[in-house]
Amino acid sequence: MSQRPLELILARNLMSALSTPAFLVDEGGLLVFYNEAAGMLLGRRFEELGAVGPEEWGSLFGPFDESGDPIPYDELPLVTAVRAGRPAHAELTIRSTDGSQHAVEVSAFPILTAHGSRGAIAVFWPSLMARNGAGPA
Amino acid sequence: MKVKLWGTRGSIPAPGPETIRYGGNTSCVGVTLSDGSLLALDAGSGIRSLGLALPEEPTRLHILLTHLHLDHIQGLVFFAPAFRPQTEIVIWGPASPEASLRDRIARYISAPLSPVEVRELPCDVSFRHCPEAEWEIGPARIRAASVAHRGPTLGYRIDDGDSSLTYIPDHEPGLGADLDRLEEDWISGFELARETSLLIHDGQYADAEYPEHLGWGHSALSHALSFARRTGAERTVLFHHDPLHSDDFLDRHGNEAKEEWARLGGAPEAIEIGAERCEYELPARAPRTAARA
Repeated sequence: MSQRPLELILARNLMSALSTPAFLVDEGGLLVFYNEAAGMLLGRRFEELGAVGPEEWGSLFGPFDESGDPIPYDELPLVTAVRAGRPAHAELTIRSTDGSQHAVEVSAFPILTAHGSRGAIAVFWPSLMARNGAGPA
Repeated sequence: MKVKLWGTRGSIPAPGPETIRYGGNTSCVGVTLSDGSLLALDAGSGIRSLGLALPEEPTRLHILLTHLHLDHIQGLVFFAPAFRPQTEIVIWGPASPEASLRDRIARYISAPLSPVEVRELPCDVSFRHCPEAEWEIGPARIRAASVAHRGPTLGYRIDDGDSSLTYIPDHEPGLGADLDRLEEDWISGFELARETSLLIHDGQYADAEYPEHLGWGHSALSHALSFARRTGAERTVLFHHDPLHSDDFLDRHGNEAKEEWARLGGAPEAIEIGAERCEYELPARAPRTAARA
């Protein structure tokens, strides 16, 4: 297996130390890591899942919009960050492996280097609405 | 390929009676490739002595800088070949979004820090950002990759014939990572060092010192040994000695390294503390050793 770019290695090391759920994708959109906090949210540790491709991780956690409709893959913040190289933010609902749903806010930003894009990071927070008791938690 | 250590110290030159055996000059390693091509890895104060040892005849040489911290470039304005018009010097280093390699080095080689400016150097000097892809110098294939340190920093691998030299003098691969458990593709610098013949690697801190220096960009001894073991390096030279570490300290540091390496199953002679003027010859057809841990 080829060496991961240093920027992804450092991002993973940082994310491993965070209590905030965070996801890391490489420049091709492959989900290459998520931290323990994200694993708790999803109900599945990264070590159990391993790296998954862009289509698969979108469907695994079924991001839905506020109407409950699936969000098209191309409109996910992480995809915008990695493809367009710009930050993106959204409120969405994800589904855990136990079927429970979580309303979250997602901020994604690209990892840009002197040699171009290396991938993107997405950080999840409980949505403000959910925190105020107005939506699924 | 011949390798000679001209400066093994990190941070700042540390001359004196207490550092006389391992040396007080900052990072510089001279490499003579199998066709006679000359490389210098970093340009700490040790490059001054390297320059004095080179012949005055027309020379082309390459200086490969890992990064631009002062202990890796401070010897440039005292490098005698740079003041000879018959010398051609190509300086390679990491790219930065902030400024070109030339402009960043010129911050040091300029007033008031230096009596000369880059444009005044009599030699034919050029500056190149290291490409992501492998490139060639003479018979050697050179690879550079970013490694975990503070600021844009590279490690290098030089393959000449069957032998290889890996040089990662400033490296903290264990920052936030468990090197014994992490998958190899997630270890900073791994591919540069994979099964290399000779690994010159940061070994600045004893394990007891490391917690006070977390995030400073350097390795604890156990991290350096884990990295060497995981990558399968055949021989490892611990490098970038702390300026506070005396020869006696480094003797103990080296003994601890050998004991730990032996405990891991390796041959103690495959681990050593880098000493100034120490030379290594890496044969074009390298025999495989049983020194790995």
